[in-house]
Amino acid sequence: MRLPRRGAEPGAPPAGQPWSGRFPGFDVLDQSSHWDPATTGVVLARVGMAPDIRFFTPDEEAVATALCDQLLAQDDATEPQARVAVVNMIDARLAERQTDGWRYDDMPDDGQAWRESLAWLDADANEQFGCDFAACSRAQQGSLIHSVQNRGSDTWHGLCAERVWSLWTRYACTAFYSHPFAWNEMGFSGPAYPRGYKNAGIDRLEPFEVRDARPGDDPLRRRA
Amino acid sequence: MSNVRERNESAWLLPPDGKRVNHQLRQDMRRFEDNDEVDLLVVGCGAGGSTMLQRLARAGWKVLALDAGPFWDPDTDWVSDEAGSHHLYWTEPRVISGSDPVPLGSNNSGRGVGGSMVHYAGYTPRFHPSDFRTRTTDGVGADWPIDYSDVQPYYEAIEEELPVAGEKWPWGDPHSYPYRPHPVSGNGDIFLRGAERLGLVAKVGPVAIVNGRFGNRAHCIYRGFCLQGCKVNAKASPLITHIPDALAHGAEVRSNCMVTRIEVDERTGRATGVHYVHEGVSRFQRANVVVVAGYSIETPRLLLNSADARFPEGLCNDFDQVGRYLMVQGAPQTAGRFDEEVRMYKAPPPEVSTEAFYETDPTKPYKRGFSIQTVSPLPITWAEHVTAQGYWGADLRAYMSDYVHWSCLGALCEFLPQPDNRVTLADEKDRHGLPVAHFSYSQCDNDGALMRAAQEVMEDILRAAGADEVITIDRFAHLVGGARMAVDEQHGVVDSNCRTFAVPNLYITDGSVLPTQGSANPALTIMAVAARAADRLVAASRRGKEQP
Repeated sequence: MRLPRRGAEPGAPPAGQPWSGRFPGFDVLDQSSHWDPATTGVVLARVGMAPDIRFFTPDEEAVATALCDQLLAQDDATEPQARVAVVNMIDARLAERQTDGWRYDDMPDDGQAWRESLAWLDADANEQFGCDFAACSRAQQGSLIHSVQNRGSDTWHGLCAERVWSLWTRYACTAFYSHPFAWNEMGFSGPAYPRGYKNAGIDRLEPFEVRDARPGDDPLRRRA
Repeated sequence: MSNVRERNESAWLLPPDGKRVNHQLRQDMRRFEDNDEVDLLVVGCGAGGSTMLQRLARAGWKVLALDAGPFWDPDTDWVSDEAGSHHLYWTEPRVISGSDPVPLGSNNSGRGVGGSMVHYAGYTPRFHPSDFRTRTTDGVGADWPIDYSDVQPYYEAIEEELPVAGEKWPWGDPHSYPYRPHPVSGNGDIFLRGAERLGLVAKVGPVAIVNGRFGNRAHCIYRGFCLQGCKVNAKASPLITHIPDALAHGAEVRSNCMVTRIEVDERTGRATGVHYVHEGVSRFQRANVVVVAGYSIETPRLLLNSADARFPEGLCNDFDQVGRYLMVQGAPQTAGRFDEEVRMYKAPPPEVSTEAFYETDPTKPYKRGFSIQTVSPLPITWAEHVTAQGYWGADLRAYMSDYVHWSCLGALCEFLPQPDNRVTLADEKDRHGLPVAHFSYSQCDNDGALMRAAQEVMEDILRAAGADEVITIDRFAHLVGGARMAVDEQHGVVDSNCRTFAVPNLYITDGSVLPTQGSANPALTIMAVAARAADRLVAASRRGKEQP
């Protein structure tokens, strides 16, 4: 099967970002003909049309979309082709009650915790900036999110802030980093059955892997 | 030791044609009626339950195992993908609390035939002799009612059956492994390089992953998805190491059967069978001996949910021992950044370990110790490491794009058994209307000191190997305890043979019987203790104490 090429097409990270262009020409989907059928079905389903929203109300969807765009630095304007439909993926899990198998005794179940925390984000936005969270500027949204993160183990509208933070980031990252587009920007080779790997070891690559074009570009040095 | 094939033919009962399941064997499986009184019924087909089932089937008993989850087919049910492997975990509702609540599900709770060994990494170290008497020698933890020497022959037997690959092992009771060590990948190389520069001994193994060929099981292909279920049949789990042989000797495995209650006859005080739900229908299976092997959360929950007039506080809970002394290991993971490409996703996450810090070091302010092993998180798990540093948005994406440069080590810290770390029943009910488990966990000072010490050592190793940045995430791994083995019923739930003190024909053969945990991954010990219990049960029945 021939899948869409990258470039200006699906799967291309936006140009000019620290995370873009490190693995030039690498597209994990090029290898999909080497995957087993069960895995291929699961992974390619994510590249296809996102499931419709079933769990979130339209108001919740609006807040969740803005929140997840912030958490994952996604931007509808700059990367329409490469945007991972994170909110639809989270919504699908919540609709199917696919939890991680536990909840804290002082938190509601995951679905209810999402609903409540999104409503409180909207309430905070209206109180501080006089408009809904989704209508706030990116900077305003960022400061509201930051204030939840900075609360640590303190409560935020009666919820333990760090547990809300964990809920948001856990669901958002599980969705985003399950997507081949995300694997492309990190050079991850994805599924490897039945082929496996033949060249494990420091600085050793498979023929289809692409070396990092900016190996010294690590976050620590970039900050310095 | 006799030829392993003569004791356990599982690997030869798997198909040689590249398929991972012997469908004929499953199709021809013996099937009992609910009204048949089987000699022995096992609840849960994980490490302990499957071993028990295979041993008793071999002994000629009529045996049946019920498992709440599916009878997996690795070809169709498992994928080379993190998010797509969610169904491998026990994700029924559970409530967690305490000062250090322990997340359950993906990290420590399995489901279906094979249990948590379907998604464990594959490390199979032995416990050290000291683990069996920490109360006496270290003044902490508990003494087992048995000794290392009681378990040692079963370690050897199970190591051959899995089989285990690794270097000659210098720690604890020094021993060697039946299969040579695997070649190591970038992550293992980093560990070995850092350890060598520090003058620290680290060894390759021990992993229950085929190196070479074993029966009809294939050699590992180093694809890195050990935690998502091994589609290769290279990594050991009871699904391929014990269940095939059990079926060939007349055992039945009945999947998708959620056991809801153990029935005990009030007059005789003996277990008569179990209530279970299959496809929405409540049924009752009769049995002469009942073995519970649901692991450290579900085993106590089942006992508590089996309360009756004789046992109002829960079955076997006359002395308030059920659910207590549940342990997790502190499992901080430290990652280091290298300009070289490590690509830690290539090769199995379990590669190299050191047990140099396992025992109590009298120069340190804490008791007992920790082990250090390679772990190789895949992207979603790696994102947890990065978000744990507080990064999100553009910082998160930038860190994540750096993935191929990171190497990751994990520690297992021996957290001590404490009575208040326990399972009780929550008010919340599951879809069967049964109260769900409430698991409370709080660390003691010794636990916290071990976490910090382990982190320091991992940072030292990675820096010695050349890392310019190190990041650490605090987490937990494994479950043991909750229905522990003890000398009497005031200190535990089962005796040294895994028989409950309260009900003479009720046994527990899973991780919940372990009184301490060392800093070893528990799977091998759970299997070895179950294999020993099986031997003792067969011997007792031959003496007429327990009729099959």
